[in-house]
Amino acid sequence: MEEVALIRIVAVKFLQAVPVILIISILAFLLLSLLPGDPALIIAGEQASPAAVEQVRRQLGLDRSFLEQLGIWLFNLAQGNFGSSLVLNQSVLSAVAERLPVTLSLAALSISFTIPVGVLLGSVAAYFRRTWIDSAVMTVALLGVSIPAFWIAILGVILFSVQLGWVPSSGFTPISQGVGPWFASLALPALILSLFQIGFLARMTRSAMLDVLGQDYIRTARAKGLSEWRTVGKHALRNALILIITATGILLSAAIGGSVIIEQVFALPGIGRMVVQAILARDYPLVQGTMLILGFTFVMINLIVDILYTLADPRVRHD
Amino acid sequence: MTDTGLGSLTTVHAIAAPRGYGAWRRLLRHRSFVIGSSIILLLTLAAVLAPLISPVDPSAMRVRFRFRPPSQAFWFGTDMFGRDVFTRVLYGARVSLFVGFAVCVVSGLCSAILGVIAAQFRRLDGAIMRLMDALMSFPAILLALGIAAALGPRVSSVIIALTVAYIPAGVRIVRAAALTVREMDFVQAAQVSGASSLRIVLRHILPNCLSPLLVHLTFIFAYAMLAEAALSFLGVGIQPPIASWGNIIAEGRDYATEAWWVMLFPGIAISLAALSLNLLGDALGDMLDPRLKGGE
Amino acid sequence: MSWNVARRGIAVALALGLAVSLGPVGSARAQTPKKGGTLVYASVSGPGTLDPYMASSAVELEVINNIFEGLVTLDNANATRPMLATKATASTDFKTYSFELRKGVKFHNGQEMTSADVKASFERYKRISPNAKNLDAVDRFETPDPYSFVIVLKEPNVVLLDVIKSPIYPLMILPASQKDKPARDIEVIGTGPFKLGEWVKDSHLTITRFDDYTADTSVPGRDGYGGRKTVYLDGVRYRFMPEATTRIAALQNGEAQMISSVPSELAARVTSRKDLAIREVFPTLGSYVIVNSQKGLTANVLIRQAIAAAINVDDIIEGAGGINKRNPWMSFPGTPYFLGDTAPTPWYDIKSPARAKELLKQAGYKGEKIVIETNSNYQWMRSTMLIVAEQLKEAGMTVDVQVTDWTTNASHMQQGTGDWNLSTTAFGPDHILGPQQWRPVLYTFPHIVGNEILDKAYAEFFAAPTLEARRASWLTIQKEVLGGGYLVKIADTGRLTGYAKKLQGQNDYAGILQLWDLWLD
Repeated sequence: MEEVALIRIVAVKFLQAVPVILIISILAFLLLSLLPGDPALIIAGEQASPAAVEQVRRQLGLDRSFLEQLGIWLFNLAQGNFGSSLVLNQSVLSAVAERLPVTLSLAALSISFTIPVGVLLGSVAAYFRRTWIDSAVMTVALLGVSIPAFWIAILGVILFSVQLGWVPSSGFTPISQGVGPWFASLALPALILSLFQIGFLARMTRSAMLDVLGQDYIRTARAKGLSEWRTVGKHALRNALILIITATGILLSAAIGGSVIIEQVFALPGIGRMVVQAILARDYPLVQGTMLILGFTFVMINLIVDILYTLADPRVRHD
Repeated sequence: MTDTGLGSLTTVHAIAAPRGYGAWRRLLRHRSFVIGSSIILLLTLAAVLAPLISPVDPSAMRVRFRFRPPSQAFWFGTDMFGRDVFTRVLYGARVSLFVGFAVCVVSGLCSAILGVIAAQFRRLDGAIMRLMDALMSFPAILLALGIAAALGPRVSSVIIALTVAYIPAGVRIVRAAALTVREMDFVQAAQVSGASSLRIVLRHILPNCLSPLLVHLTFIFAYAMLAEAALSFLGVGIQPPIASWGNIIAEGRDYATEAWWVMLFPGIAISLAALSLNLLGDALGDMLDPRLKGGE
Repeated sequence: MSWNVARRGIAVALALGLAVSLGPVGSARAQTPKKGGTLVYASVSGPGTLDPYMASSAVELEVINNIFEGLVTLDNANATRPMLATKATASTDFKTYSFELRKGVKFHNGQEMTSADVKASFERYKRISPNAKNLDAVDRFETPDPYSFVIVLKEPNVVLLDVIKSPIYPLMILPASQKDKPARDIEVIGTGPFKLGEWVKDSHLTITRFDDYTADTSVPGRDGYGGRKTVYLDGVRYRFMPEATTRIAALQNGEAQMISSVPSELAARVTSRKDLAIREVFPTLGSYVIVNSQKGLTANVLIRQAIAAAINVDDIIEGAGGINKRNPWMSFPGTPYFLGDTAPTPWYDIKSPARAKELLKQAGYKGEKIVIETNSNYQWMRSTMLIVAEQLKEAGMTVDVQVTDWTTNASHMQQGTGDWNLSTTAFGPDHILGPQQWRPVLYTFPHIVGNEILDKAYAEFFAAPTLEARRASWLTIQKEVLGGGYLVKIADTGRLTGYAKKLQGQNDYAGILQLWDLWLD
């Protein structure tokens, strides 16, 4: 009985995702067809003759009507064809796949910094609520979400790389060349990326914990004379698991969004940097295709989070 | 631009007012609220009074005075063109606060309208919310980057780009609040007594969605300022000679070791402004959300 | 935006000027070269393509130049010298050019280069290169035997070899198998001293020594882009670092032994270290304010002259950064067409807001808006235009600075589209080859239409039998272009590269990056 309900919930979530994916596809097309600058001109080169530009335009199908172009775009997508980059001379899918390890490494490392620190800070603040410890911890968390990442990143490079020489100044070392160099190349960017997330998670944890600490079963547990640690630790933290599931989805989005800027500062060859370069170089198809892949990824992340959430929280299931 | 700080104060008042004088006094006793709003007020005043505080033209170049460190004559030093960084930070406050405020107002209005429509007209709900889901699937900064690049590097395009990026979250908040309010007795009563749905929306639903929206918008103000800086850093934001905190940092980043003052001060200014807005948002959330006090 | 510097540029291309190097290069010669080691070179960004026929930007040519070779190339004095050919001869009527090819030259895939490969390469170039119009007059290519190649023209062309040796869109020889490959889609196989290793877009690129490289033994050492090339390094790793600060940090902490584009303000970070040094490459380009002579206010010669009069070159040189030296002429000092000490225009760097105001008054200027367009990709261009904007304001002009992206900016300048009065760019290296290369640029960028003096001067130039007569025409041309305020010369510019002193064997030639003859001590 319960399994059937679960399958139904999952099925409904999947069905809801379908129109979202369709809308994402159309939005990605619309957004970039508004970009100024002529992609044909970019391919043909600034010195090309008008006739050559015209020829490229025909090759790209840019001379067709707006609706025709949209139709072709959707038709190609349906076949798993996300288009090809104008500048990289590579399909969008392979370009993204090539850069995925960098962005994923960065996101994973930053989240692995974030979760213990963020949960710890948030729990400490909640436990010592309305004391100076709470204020101090929450101010630190607030600083995390208030300081511009690129600014602190540049200061970080000057301090840790130029002055102290602890980490390389930029660039990425694949994990295949050793875990040590890989970690060194990502430590500073991941740390800076996690500042915002830690601030965010600490705040989220604190308010969730306050919620839980105020609830009846904790009071009961306390009244039963269970030790403070067991009370807080067992009951509260189990509930925190649900929080972490929800938070991880959001953190993953934040990490990928934040990596756009961090990859730029540290010259990490990831997806974020590629999209920024593509936007600046007016490489329409690459921007469109990558945005779309990212959009799909987020829909999937949300879907998985929703399902895990349903599994972890009995209340949701019985609703 | 005069409205930036005053605007947020008067709206606070409007929210606090129905709860009576006591709520307002409680706010004034709230430490985060006092600190946050004082700093924001101060920054706003500095931005508004910029020409009085520093009579120098923010874009005036005196190449002979380039890269002077902070001193009596140049409080925050000078940049690569010999422009006075203090003056540029002051004028940058105008742009940065204006962008933050404008994004707040426009995205607030759009969120309120779309959120209430979604809650009130159930047939549109699905369509609106799926569109919001779709918009939310793109990382906000990338969405803003794409739109800002499409519209060209201008103040207005940055505002539009960030507004679009931040609308979905606002719509969700308003919709959730509106759905709760709809079910409440007094709204049901008004419906039974034959009040028009426009009247119900305007008199009952909308006012009751405002406090969560207001708290949310305070954070959006901070995010928008930070995002503007990031866009300027990436080259699609507001371009010099107009000074914004973001582009002063961007211009100074190559000389960060030799002329640290060029990028240090605007960075502190943004962090301070964002921090105080976040404090303000927390304080408002604290005061307006009874659940958190229940945790005491 | 500094990471895009030198990414794409036609007008902003590379340089092969005269070498006036200040680096402590000579002292290195005394030591014996050492074989082995990998050089890490940090440049601003990665190449978009390694198809030589499509490549015009520095970051692309810096790789291509080490992998591929052409029939002829430039020597130390920028004159033509053979590379893959042993001899290039023109018929007396300049309608037939014959090349004898070097024997035993191997491609990276092991095959020997023959005239079939050369013919296929020329045909592909003619088909796809943006520069192909320079081969329009070709009637046919002939390959009488595997080591002979002949170009037959429909009409005489005295400068054909200049086209073939041009380092922009270089006519490198590829294997015949690449003949039908579309633009940007070749297998990277050349005859050069290095072959392509690994290329991860946006991250790094490696090239390795080509052990079967057949050196040109006709001369004892390197000569311009040609001559005898010896490779000591095992390989070179190009790393792409958009931020100047991180490039310098990479040099400082030993991650890189050579870095490109060091902003002059930051040079001290390098020179303050005993084991690091800066090499100045100068002159590479000439920088100009471009005045759109077909647009609104700036169609008026008096307004254009007022702009020229208001500009303070010294302030731009100091404020925009980089290596800039004053020079009122359009040719570099020391080249055949450099015409001496007195300026060809009364306006060069007179920094006179008063004179500008006078001219504005004569023109009946009433505070109408002058639109300055620049881009966010090239920092020096934006800096220059911001400074110019302030200088014009001081002379009483109303200015509006519009910042766009380089592609749009460049196409506006070349096509005359868009709504702008002033912009800026730098020209090179073609103009050092002579005023004939200047002609399309002059007519295109400021959009000079119907200027009879200029038209006549150019007609005389092409008919002139002697250098003296051509120099006289060139003077008239510069007087008209600079005096009429179509272009406002700013300065001759160079660039700085940073390197670790253990990297030895660099030479004084101010060309595109050459990685042969270098070794790590």
